[in-house]
Amino acid sequence: MIPIPRPSTDDAKRMIKEHKECIDSMKGVAGNSVLKCATPGDTTVVTGGIHEDFQLNRVLLRMRAAPAKGKLVVVCTKVEKEWRIARLSGIRGVPPEFVTDKVYDNEQDPQHDIFLMRLEEYPETDGFPEHFREGWKRRDDMWTVT
Amino acid sequence: MSWMKMTGYADKFSVHPGDTIKFYVNCDGPSEYQAEIVKMIHADTNPRGPGFIEEKIDAAINGTYKGVKQEIYSGSYGFVVDKPQFCVESVTLQCWIWPTTPKTHPKYWKHGAQGLVTKWCDGKGYGLFINEDGCVEFRVNDQVITTGAPLRDHAWHFVAASFDAATGEAVLYHEPQVVYALDPEIPPVSKKLSTKLAYVAGSPTVIAGYCGSVTDSPLAKASVPQGVLIKGHYNGKIDSPRICNRALSRLEIETMKLGAQPGLSERRNSGPTGKLSEAIVASWDFGDGINTLIGKDKGPYLFHATIVNCPTRAMTGYNWEGQIFDWKGAPEQYGAIHFHDDDIDDARWQVSFEWSVPKGTSSKFYAAKLTTKDGDEDYIPFWVVPRVGEETAKIAFMVPTISYMAYANEHLANNAGGAELLVYRVPIMQQQNMFLSEHREYGGSIYDTHTDGSGLCLSSRLRPILSIRPKYDHFLAQAPWQYPADLHMIYWLEKKGYEYDVITDEDVTYDGLARLENYNVVISGSHPEHNSGPQLDALHNYMQRGGRFMYMGADGWYWVHSYHPAYDKQGRGIVTEMRRCESGIRTWRADPGEYYHQGTGELGGMWRFRGRYLHTIAGTGMSSEGFDISTYYSRTPESNDARVSWAFEGINYDEKLGNFGLVGGGAAGTELDIVDTMLGSPPHTLVVATSAGRHTEGYLLVMEDYGFNQQGLDGTQHPRVRSDIAYHETPNGGAAFAFSSIAFCGSLPWNNGDNNISTLVGNVLNRFMKDGPLPMPEPAAIVHRGRADYDQPMNKARK
Repeated sequence: MIPIPRPSTDDAKRMIKEHKECIDSMKGVAGNSVLKCATPGDTTVVTGGIHEDFQLNRVLLRMRAAPAKGKLVVVCTKVEKEWRIARLSGIRGVPPEFVTDKVYDNEQDPQHDIFLMRLEEYPETDGFPEHFREGWKRRDDMWTVT
Repeated sequence: MSWMKMTGYADKFSVHPGDTIKFYVNCDGPSEYQAEIVKMIHADTNPRGPGFIEEKIDAAINGTYKGVKQEIYSGSYGFVVDKPQFCVESVTLQCWIWPTTPKTHPKYWKHGAQGLVTKWCDGKGYGLFINEDGCVEFRVNDQVITTGAPLRDHAWHFVAASFDAATGEAVLYHEPQVVYALDPEIPPVSKKLSTKLAYVAGSPTVIAGYCGSVTDSPLAKASVPQGVLIKGHYNGKIDSPRICNRALSRLEIETMKLGAQPGLSERRNSGPTGKLSEAIVASWDFGDGINTLIGKDKGPYLFHATIVNCPTRAMTGYNWEGQIFDWKGAPEQYGAIHFHDDDIDDARWQVSFEWSVPKGTSSKFYAAKLTTKDGDEDYIPFWVVPRVGEETAKIAFMVPTISYMAYANEHLANNAGGAELLVYRVPIMQQQNMFLSEHREYGGSIYDTHTDGSGLCLSSRLRPILSIRPKYDHFLAQAPWQYPADLHMIYWLEKKGYEYDVITDEDVTYDGLARLENYNVVISGSHPEHNSGPQLDALHNYMQRGGRFMYMGADGWYWVHSYHPAYDKQGRGIVTEMRRCESGIRTWRADPGEYYHQGTGELGGMWRFRGRYLHTIAGTGMSSEGFDISTYYSRTPESNDARVSWAFEGINYDEKLGNFGLVGGGAAGTELDIVDTMLGSPPHTLVVATSAGRHTEGYLLVMEDYGFNQQGLDGTQHPRVRSDIAYHETPNGGAAFAFSSIAFCGSLPWNNGDNNISTLVGNVLNRFMKDGPLPMPEPAAIVHRGRADYDQPMNKARK
């Protein structure tokens, strides 16, 4: 498995820069990918991001595959106007809770902030044998099953 | 934070002019609200499109109404009203159980004891329960005995309990049917109790719950029976519950497993023995009447249980042998009902107002718009549909209401960690999702798992469905999906001045060809994925007789659905059923032996595996899906074929088709269909444009198209990850045009409807809507074509 580099490493810094440029270029698109629009807000030509940075691609996959409990999501609090970051409870009936006070004026910026938060939060080597725990016997292995 | 103070639903999706539609509104807080009927034109708030558009209708019911809170009492159970025969002095209870959540998290939405078989209310009566620690518990009035042995989830157990009034002896048995090497023995537990059974008047006997209270609160009118609030909803299967009126020995309990079998005595009294027949109060057999809302009592009193909130039936019982997979062939092995604490078949609210739809009302998308002075808002969508024979246009838009029901109150962004992996970005939740994450009683979608983790295969429209709402972006697309996405097409029809009627899946399912044959052209929604058999029959019959069909989306005709016949007396299409079987894109997977619908008894799963290939309907079928961003199409040389070149008038050959749009930023996106002559595309189908090679890594080939896990299945690599726009003629001057992408209609409103996707769709619709058969192609086009003509040599296996 590809480790998730610490935020202070050169690898992480490169990925953060690439991620930010991709997200900025997606502003205006009714959708989102970690890819760079040649013309901002226009998906006719997209390059870079997950298609060209292998490490960024794999790190994002691991982050995306995490199970629901504690997972970060975006909540639109005012249609077309305001968005915030929240965390899933993983318990049926317990709603997501906001984790920051920051209110975004577009739906793309929280994607990047969540990437930064996860770089801080995710263990570098989870998924290797030294992290074996009983939950692996019932799929609690940080890779959710759909 | 309070997310939605108002929610509501109507008694109908589709209403005829001259008929009445009833609306049910929950207004939790505001003292009053305004209601008005609006015509829906465009639901997408994206600032790059035309924005939200509705038109107020001058309706008699428009006005101010008193705000009244209404509750949903979800959770399925069976009950028999209070009868003296249940009010015994001594008792024996027994059943098999397969619990799914014997222990729940303290914050779980219905944490607490679960009732199995109970005649117990407020510390009086008897009942078998699962306690908070996940152990079987026997209650005799306010006294309790338990084994102290936790139940294994997802495994069968036989449980039984008896109480002898004369001796005070209570015995509890818990006998796991699966015993592993290191499992401790669970001996029976007995205890002397000093109590005499007493009962709360009016309390019912309940299976999979217990009587929480009897109340005359107006809210409790929505419960069944009215005024009786059931609590302790059980998650899991129950098979063969029995109640006897004396304390049986363990041997008698064993014999009683046979049930009230009259065949064991020539006198045909209840069995299984003469002595036991005298003791039976009730002996239910859920294998009888699987397609009903009744739990059959085979005992002498015929205490048939009313089954509430439509739990899942046709489920394998404790005795299923794995030899017969269709419940109709061995109902005695399908005696289990799987109850869920979030099952809901009908919110049963009080009517808030009703609208008598005036004759002559145009057939369109409508909604009851609800607002308060504080800015609260909700919409209750419905459709005015002409009676058969009273069509008012040459064009019909077929609203994919079964698909709307399949997605009803979908919870994936909240429930499923995998949602983010699927959409390749962090999901965005809206107020509807936030409300539902807290209000599990509104039930889920057929994409969800129940609160106990099991697959959800039944969906009712008699509840507020917050995903069928305008101004709602779905996490899958970060854009409108289903209902609000279909209004992209409606906006375009309105903008271009077309006269059109709307009909629903429900209308086509119940009326068949008659519903379609008076239209020159039928237009589908953007994602008609879920379909009944009668609906597919009607579409084929229509095109066979010269009908024209425009398939405006993708991933259509995929899953087998049936409306549950037990609800037909309440109206059309109340509850739809679907099972996710061995293949197809599945958010959950049915267990072995549970592939057949409980309602109609038909095999569920993909139409493809019933021999109805997706590609037979409109010429293309599902190839791939991905949800990050969309792309555009290029024309192929086949677009210049005289059979179809008329569709591209005003479009240059080299134009990028649809490199703009309100879903993913392009016309080719989210879910994609392609031509495949080996999967039912007619061999004369023309591929006129394709998006091949332009999709992202987030797009993946569907799993039913390959048999072997392998690399290279994503949009940056696999040639079948693409969308094909395709055309083919049908007999008698009919034809089908398949646009083959769910995002496609999102390009129509771009630049106020002035764009090349709009030109293409306009050319097709103008030709298809003409009276009389379409012109025949040139004689040279009529040639013999084998499916394999397109195939590579040495690769002719059909799969």
